[in-house]
Amino acid sequence: MASGKAVDAVYKVKIPAAAAKLRELYYMAHYIHSHTAHFYALAAPDFVVGPDAPPAERNILGLVNKVGIDIGREVIRQREISQIIQQMIGGRATHPVWNLPGGVTRALAREDRDSIKKFAPGLVGFGELGLKLFDDLVLKNKGYLDLILGDGYELVTNYMGLVDDKNRVTFYDGTVRVVDPDGNEIDRYRESEYLDHVAEHVEPYTYLKFPYLKKLGWQGFKEGKGTSLYQAAPLARFNAASGMGTPKAQAAYEKMFATFGGKPVHKLMAMHWARLIELLYAAERLTELIQDEEILDPNVRVIPSTTPSEGVGIVEAPRGTLTHHYVTDSRGIVTKANLIVGTTNNNGAISMAVKKAAEKFVGTGGEIKEGLLNRVEMAFRIYDPCFSCATHSLPGQMPLTVDILNAAGETIRTVSR
Amino acid sequence: MKTTVIGLGNTILCDDGIGIYVARALEARLAGTADVKTAELAGLDLIEMLRGYDRAYIVDAINLDGEAAGTVFRIKPDDLRITPRLASFHDIDLVTAIELGKRLEFSMPGEVVIYAVQVEDALTLRETCTETVARVIEPVVEEIAGEIEGTAHRTVSIGLSQRRKTGA
Repeated sequence: MASGKAVDAVYKVKIPAAAAKLRELYYMAHYIHSHTAHFYALAAPDFVVGPDAPPAERNILGLVNKVGIDIGREVIRQREISQIIQQMIGGRATHPVWNLPGGVTRALAREDRDSIKKFAPGLVGFGELGLKLFDDLVLKNKGYLDLILGDGYELVTNYMGLVDDKNRVTFYDGTVRVVDPDGNEIDRYRESEYLDHVAEHVEPYTYLKFPYLKKLGWQGFKEGKGTSLYQAAPLARFNAASGMGTPKAQAAYEKMFATFGGKPVHKLMAMHWARLIELLYAAERLTELIQDEEILDPNVRVIPSTTPSEGVGIVEAPRGTLTHHYVTDSRGIVTKANLIVGTTNNNGAISMAVKKAAEKFVGTGGEIKEGLLNRVEMAFRIYDPCFSCATHSLPGQMPLTVDILNAAGETIRTVSR
Repeated sequence: MKTTVIGLGNTILCDDGIGIYVARALEARLAGTADVKTAELAGLDLIEMLRGYDRAYIVDAINLDGEAAGTVFRIKPDDLRITPRLASFHDIDLVTAIELGKRLEFSMPGEVVIYAVQVEDALTLRETCTETVARVIEPVVEEIAGEIEGTAHRTVSIGLSQRRKTGA
């Protein structure tokens, strides 16, 4: 979606309303399938089966053992439906060749619209089911609630998210808003202005960059008020916004912040809660869009008539604000590109969160507490189930090593898998 | 025996499209004998793709250190944590998908065979395979079709135990 918006900007073309609605509709279905996989397959086992459970049980199979076959089937079914919806709209559920400069390749067929309308209530119900499960299995479990509210997973930074004209969370189009650790707005920008607001720090040990707020300057890996690091992911979006655009998601949003005693929330495990609220929002927003008769308008593309040059597109990807910036020659061939993908925004925060979790869960004298490696991984999984999309690397195994140093900085023990 | 062939890959990434190209070539050949499908991702989607079949053949790209491009491996799910799509951190792997399908009381294949073709280049934006990898499309098609049809067939594949270790 970000690349689609970027090429619109490259060709300086405003897409028809129906095309924008179709893109957003597709994107809501994408959010449902992405958040479903992230939460149910990769994150929930930590809570529902337990953070210290052996890996052989701490997985989606263990999750099904806990929640039952009917709920397991519902997860598979609704995720499949969200994929089917993407295929109906874009031709393919993954890697659709559908976005073009000026709109999309095809209008939505009436029979597909009717099918998606029938799917919508089930998706909303699935969104509600996720929050009920979270309530029953996580929030009502003192051990898990303590994990969420404890200081092992906490990081105080600025927060970024795309908002609409009422500062509500939006995924496809809006203004990027940034709030400080107290929740005060400190920055706001449109797509074409991103280079004036975000810069990318480079460290020699990694080719993944560390974005930060440009006007505050690079200040290192420091949290707290005044830091120039920001987070951009479900919880960050919630902190950066004033609410949600749909009623059930708004009620869930209010309940979440009431549980934590107000905004912003710095407890990182709340990210999974926010992710489930976003899943419900996506289902409700999908329902709104599919009921809009304009979604069937055959006018879904404006043929560009200008010479292409340069453009930026920004959306909220499931794991954070996604920026695509292209420079092209006069034929539209890309000569320069910069991408800041969702997880890259959080690179500094992830680094600090992982370090804090390791420090927290290593006992005095270097004692290794049960489940240490998994609790460190959990700090990562808050943001992303893997790093491969951000780094384009697949090492083949979780390259996790915890070095325990003594006061002199000497390694006294290494734990790895 | 209800059979499916699933070609996995991405046809804009050169040799990464090998699974799709093999599946496309098998589609007409196996019409009425097996259901041939293609997909860009695996993970949870595999459950629906495999559900209801007795036997499944999955064709994917693989990139192992030290292997010659075009080497074809014939492997079973239990051997497998090695092709990116079938062993992704980003979703569940093939073994888990099969086990999850069974746990949910779906009818899952009793026999799953994976054909994995060693790539030469799976990073360049290109809508065809390299010559080396393209040369094995037809032999792989013949081997899979022969296996499904129960006819005598030429074998180009090797098992993982026959892996060369040069530089691995």
